[in-house]
Amino acid sequence: MAEPNAKPPTSTSPWAWARVLYAVLALTVFAFPGGLVDWLDDRNADGWLSAPLALARGVDAASTALGVKQIGQRLRGWFAAAIGGEDA
Amino acid sequence: MLFPTIDFGLFFAFSFVLVWSLNAYNTAKKLVLLALSLAFYASWNWRFLLLLLASGAISYLVGLYVDAAAKRPFRRLALGLGVALDLGILGYFKYLDFFIAQAMNLAHMLGFELPLGFVNVTLPVAISFLTFHAISYIVDVYRGRLAASRSPLDIFLYISFFPHLVAGPIVRAHVFLPQLATPPRAGDFSFGENMLLILGGLFKKMVIANYLAVRFVDPVFIDPSQFSRFDLIMAIYAYAVQIYADFSAYTDIAIGVAGLLGYHFPQNFNQPYRALGIGDFWRRWHMTLSSWLRDYLYIPLGGNRHGALATARNLMLTMVLGGLWHGANWTFLIWGALHGSALVVDHAWRRSAAFARWGSGPVARVVDWALTFNFVCLAWLFFRASSLDAVGQFFAGMWTDNGAPSTMPGVVLPLIACGALTQIAPPRARATIGVVLDNRGAFAQAAVGFVLLYAIVVMAPPGSAPFIYFQF
Repeated sequence: MAEPNAKPPTSTSPWAWARVLYAVLALTVFAFPGGLVDWLDDRNADGWLSAPLALARGVDAASTALGVKQIGQRLRGWFAAAIGGEDA
Repeated sequence: MLFPTIDFGLFFAFSFVLVWSLNAYNTAKKLVLLALSLAFYASWNWRFLLLLLASGAISYLVGLYVDAAAKRPFRRLALGLGVALDLGILGYFKYLDFFIAQAMNLAHMLGFELPLGFVNVTLPVAISFLTFHAISYIVDVYRGRLAASRSPLDIFLYISFFPHLVAGPIVRAHVFLPQLATPPRAGDFSFGENMLLILGGLFKKMVIANYLAVRFVDPVFIDPSQFSRFDLIMAIYAYAVQIYADFSAYTDIAIGVAGLLGYHFPQNFNQPYRALGIGDFWRRWHMTLSSWLRDYLYIPLGGNRHGALATARNLMLTMVLGGLWHGANWTFLIWGALHGSALVVDHAWRRSAAFARWGSGPVARVVDWALTFNFVCLAWLFFRASSLDAVGQFFAGMWTDNGAPSTMPGVVLPLIACGALTQIAPPRARATIGVVLDNRGAFAQAAVGFVLLYAIVVMAPPGSAPFIYFQF
């Protein structure tokens, strides 16, 4: 039986992997900050997520200021329209 | 905690660094992995942690006893007790109400009433997969395929490891336990391929499966009488793509997540809609369940060792029980019986003189593929329908077209085409691209990962439906 994840790679350090994973997640949060803000907001009834929520709102503001967030929103709207629905 | 959610993204980002930072301390690492797995399971319902722990304890103790008992009758007795306990837990939560209902119906038909009541228990997430793993371990110890583990930590981690916990793939003990003996080496794994597995899984689930379900399949199956014959037929094909995209997505993500944590999982799907024959289909679809059913049910029943009639009986029994495993419903039982019957025919056909003469030509292969694919799709109707009445309504709608115009959204055909692409893409493409990514360095890996994830988020509808196999 083939084992699809058994390959001899050259990037063999899990810390190098971690850098890539965190970079991908951070870039995605920067591109679509609304999801994380809403997620933190929903769970902040006791106020113990206030600091990460403030940070996420800061990222949201930076993304908006640079126009990155709007690009993502526009693309989602365009895709939803292209496939004939109002999902985005 | 579903895979395609922010919850799991944060959970995995935290787990990844924690687990690898403890890689030099294997016991501590396994303890942390167990704690993370229990937390993952508790995110659905912490009360069922007891079930998980009970399953682990049964496996550990029965494994030790079966391994130590010198006389065969006692070993067999201990094995039987262990399997009965595992199946008893599964039966109580999953099947008791179904069998009570059938007994009451039968008694009512015979003219008397049974004083029985339903137990009405919540079905714990992952109970079927827990049972598969637990039985696999104690039977393999009994058969001498592996020695019983002296480490309860290893057994509890084997049963509860969070990537496979909820919906597989079913990882055999002899595959997983040796991996716990020494810390994994990152060099044994391809980061690029595992990242592509996870992103491909997210695309299949969040885009293909979710859109097909929400836009077309679910509405059609809720009320087939409102849809035209064409829509009903297309809904069956759309569901075939949806269930493949949904379930293979889960196991792709599970394999990728396990790989990034340093553990190998077996392949679970191999382009099943390319199958030539039902036997071939089951060697490509949910491969870890197929091989589990073969090794722990079909072969112990006698397999194909006692003539054609006994082979047919064993195939039917295996598939009916496999169908019933999916849920306590007549629809699943009939789905299993349909596949069992098809396997009997397929088995006989491939051993016939006619097959030897005509079965390998190009025309025969096309016919073989078309028959197999359409049979599998039609059988999915029983799998997806909520009841036999619903199946009847569906067939009635296909038989007598209501004349309504087709309301199939335009997005359905491109999504089905995407599903078809997954079946004809070169099987080694992902591995090849993964190795290329591994050789390109962190910047290229991050760029490719971000672009693909960005595209998925752009295309995905808001929210995510649970994976279909969560209910099993």
